[in-house]
Amino acid sequence: MSSERQMVPRIGVDQWVATAEERRLRTLGVRLDEAVARVPFALRLLGIALPVALYPVLVDSEYLLQVGIDTLVFVLLGLGLNVAVGWVGLLDLGYVAFFGLGAYLYAAVASEYAGRHWDALVAVPAVVAAVAVIGFLLGLPSRRLAGDYLAIVTLFFLQIFLVVLINSGFTRGPNGISNVLPLEVLGRQAVSLEAYFYITLAACVVVATALYLVNHSRTGRAWRALREDELAAELMTMPTNRLKLLGFAFGAGVAGLAGALYAPQQGAVFPANFDLVLLITVYAMVVLGGAGNLFGVAVGAVIVTGSLEALRSPADASWLFYGALTVTLLAVLRPWWKAPALLAATVVFGLAVHEAVEAARPSLVAGTPVGQAWIDGLVDGWVLLPENIVTGDGLPSGALGRLAYLALVASVLALTLVRSSRWRLVGLVPVLYLAASVWESLLLPQPAVARYILIGAMLVALMAFRPQGLFGRPRVEIV
Amino acid sequence: MDWDKLVQLLVNGVTLGSVYALVALGFSMVYGILKLLNLAHGDVLMVGAFIGWGALGWLGGAQDPRVAVWLLILLMVLAAMAGCGLLGVAIERFAYRPLRRAPRIAPLISALGVSFFLQNSVLLLFGSEFRSYETFDLVDVEIGIHWGPLNVWVIRIVVVAAALAMMVALWLLVTRTKLGKAMRATAFDREAAAMMGIDVDRVIVTTFFIGSALAGAAGVLVGLIFGQINHFMGFGYGLKGFIAAVVGGIGSMPGAMLGGLFIGVVEALSIGYIEDVTFGRLGSAFSDLVVFSILVLFMLLRPQGFLGRPEVKKV
Amino acid sequence: MERPGANGGVGERRPLLEVRSLSLSFGGLACLSDLDLEVYEGEIVSVIGPNGAGKTSLFNVISGVYRPDAGDILFRGESIVGLDPHEVARRGICRTFQTLRLFLNMSVKENVMAAAYGHTKAGVLRSVLRTPGMRREEREIERLAEERLGFFGQRLIGYRMRQPAYSLSYANRRRLEIARATAAKPTLLLLDEPAAGMNPVETQEMTELIGRLRGEGGYTILVIEHDMHVVEGISDRVVALDHGVKIAEGSFEEVATHPAVVEAYLGTTGVERT
Repeated sequence: MSSERQMVPRIGVDQWVATAEERRLRTLGVRLDEAVARVPFALRLLGIALPVALYPVLVDSEYLLQVGIDTLVFVLLGLGLNVAVGWVGLLDLGYVAFFGLGAYLYAAVASEYAGRHWDALVAVPAVVAAVAVIGFLLGLPSRRLAGDYLAIVTLFFLQIFLVVLINSGFTRGPNGISNVLPLEVLGRQAVSLEAYFYITLAACVVVATALYLVNHSRTGRAWRALREDELAAELMTMPTNRLKLLGFAFGAGVAGLAGALYAPQQGAVFPANFDLVLLITVYAMVVLGGAGNLFGVAVGAVIVTGSLEALRSPADASWLFYGALTVTLLAVLRPWWKAPALLAATVVFGLAVHEAVEAARPSLVAGTPVGQAWIDGLVDGWVLLPENIVTGDGLPSGALGRLAYLALVASVLALTLVRSSRWRLVGLVPVLYLAASVWESLLLPQPAVARYILIGAMLVALMAFRPQGLFGRPRVEIV
Repeated sequence: MDWDKLVQLLVNGVTLGSVYALVALGFSMVYGILKLLNLAHGDVLMVGAFIGWGALGWLGGAQDPRVAVWLLILLMVLAAMAGCGLLGVAIERFAYRPLRRAPRIAPLISALGVSFFLQNSVLLLFGSEFRSYETFDLVDVEIGIHWGPLNVWVIRIVVVAAALAMMVALWLLVTRTKLGKAMRATAFDREAAAMMGIDVDRVIVTTFFIGSALAGAAGVLVGLIFGQINHFMGFGYGLKGFIAAVVGGIGSMPGAMLGGLFIGVVEALSIGYIEDVTFGRLGSAFSDLVVFSILVLFMLLRPQGFLGRPEVKKV
Repeated sequence: MERPGANGGVGERRPLLEVRSLSLSFGGLACLSDLDLEVYEGEIVSVIGPNGAGKTSLFNVISGVYRPDAGDILFRGESIVGLDPHEVARRGICRTFQTLRLFLNMSVKENVMAAAYGHTKAGVLRSVLRTPGMRREEREIERLAEERLGFFGQRLIGYRMRQPAYSLSYANRRRLEIARATAAKPTLLLLDEPAAGMNPVETQEMTELIGRLRGEGGYTILVIEHDMHVVEGISDRVVALDHGVKIAEGSFEEVATHPAVVEAYLGTTGVERT
């Protein structure tokens, strides 16, 4: 080594880059990451799958078991979308149409409506293959074009898919096909929720393993290479058009599998199950977890499904809202004392405003909270909750509510423009208070809508501040 | 041959097409400059329709307008254009600008988020039921051109004329002014334009303002023709606008206008004739299938569209 | 014109690469016009010329990125015009880029392994099943990558192999590009300004390296270079381009002193004024 060093004089840049990288390697996060990467994949997978397998034993309500199954279906969907978005870098906006195709095709081979009941060992592979082929055919027209065109074609494909489902008598229109028959393997039928839980979990494990193995093969390397630089990949012997089609069809196949497991579990398929809302939800999972990272995608699916479920119930929604706010502040603000100080300041600020408003315009605080959580009762004496701010349907009854909502959005956006971190912190106090007030008075009465607003905002914020998601590695574009 | 029906369908097609052309223009302008597919563009149109509806209510509503009808419509369009222009600028500033150097898929995902956010915000504030412009109360259906088979309601004429006027104004802006020159230069090569002293950020913001204002105007025009608006309407118009831009030749302004009219007429004709052609097997809802086939055909045979230029790879 | 390759005895042998009356233009602007060029097996040929002379365009046409308007390109006697770039690369022409185009977020080793795609076979199904053949191939690819990276001494091996490509220094990135191109197992290497942006020591090293690429690696090399020390040090033959036209060809001395070349670089008026 020393003779080598003498022979080749090192010039500044080289040396600096090397030491900077060594410094980076010493940080805890990276070391942890490397340590995890050293554990064999099979062990890591078992380490996650085994505790998950205990879930049906631990929960005793059908509802929670159903949520568990839904989550696993979403994990499957996220894994498939990750191939197209995370590895190949294609924006596939027709993804949930493939999920729907899988479900409808299963219904076509195993339902009372179709008058057939194929064995699952035949039906599921056939459905997966058929959906993958359809994905391949759909990708063909846009094969020579930039990813943008694929986005339009696939988005329109989703639209067509829904139009056909809703208007065609053959698929029974918006009523969908009920009486989809359960999975049947060699005469044994899967009927219990537990059975479906384990079947879906097994599917997740198999798909995750397959994806891991593909990722660490020449095909996976070529996918990632073409996402990095398509032209360079093409010039390094990789047939990029064919590889893109392959990745696209691969993702479609996984979505088809998810559909083929979802339909028999639900026992029915409806067009409304496969709409734009689902599409954006799956994107949110992949992006939140970290596109390109299998583990991250799975965690993203769990977080998003769990939050969406929790936001549905008036008892849990507020806990999630205030909890997520607090955790985000604690995670983002450094040094550590800033977050508690900020929260304390907000509480004091709120109490003062509440007092002042109560004295001047009592009607502005006279509303009754909608939320049922203990915390909603607590904040009732703190937030601005005007009387009759919403109608019986939960819609804002007048301009005040709408203006408050717009003011919240505008002030959050404006806050991101403030350069000085001190003033940003100061500005955060009234904004947080406004957020809590809007939450209690406008968002809580319509939790179903509120949760999608949060998903949309989360997507934008993630792309701007943490595009790699929770578990992905930050990407470097131009050096 | 039922000439009355054909003429009526063509009139419908041209009206619809001029709306698509407005959407396609804004979309194509943004794509030309940033190479960004603004997936939230359709939702900007939806917000414009709601702003127009709000302005209508504020000015007394259709039954009892406080100002002359022509002024009312003008004010609605202007309010929507101003509101949507600002919305477009905000979207650019907060959702796209932080991602200028990110991989190309990042702003697209951000755009999905914006689209979802706007839709659900309107849903939260106004609910899911359709809101009506009540245009029939505003302007009597009988007013208009009646000439042989040609029966055109005056509102349709207003819509087409307004769209045309805006396109001409935009054309003049882009070809005759210094700002237009800067926009074309930025579209051609952003970095070179920046080095030539063009304030690229300002050009981009202006482009977003103009494009979104056009979408806002289109939203009000849609409300005027069809009377009804809701939070999800932007999806369909956005999609058709994208397709019009692609078919016309993305990045080309005359292409966007041509593509818009083409898609509008194709859609109107297929709505009118698809039942006859398929002997009643497919209803008018399947007209989207025809438009989809056209999109796929263009992708296969003429990916650069009517007036676009084939792309040259840079090494 | 008739100067044979360095390994001599060309005689009747066909050139490895033949470019015949090649023309390329963009919207009326001629990049290359009626260009002829031969490269014989085992040669190192340098292409020089002022900026905008059409050097990189020539590389782009050869590697299949652009289709020429007229003319033909023969590789081992077969026309490669109209083939997709990956097909051209698979037949044995691989290149580097003037503006580096590495797979920045992949590891150094993976960058090289990815380029082995063309001469390996395992499909998706075999990768999922990890068949013995697939495993053998995978080990083969890894060994190839380590060997190609080892060509540059200690610079790219060891812990560096696991690091992402973006963490490399500029000179090392240029080296990695060459390693990546050789992993595709080409016979003809197209190097686009391999010494651009390097300091004198690194440039000297690159000169030696290109010689070693032919000597040890056995590649035939067509290289674009601006640095005349490099060109002088490596070239069997030099071709000078200006405005897409070949203005001189021959040994370094012949070309460097050729009046047309001097004129292209300095301009006639410039010469007269002094």
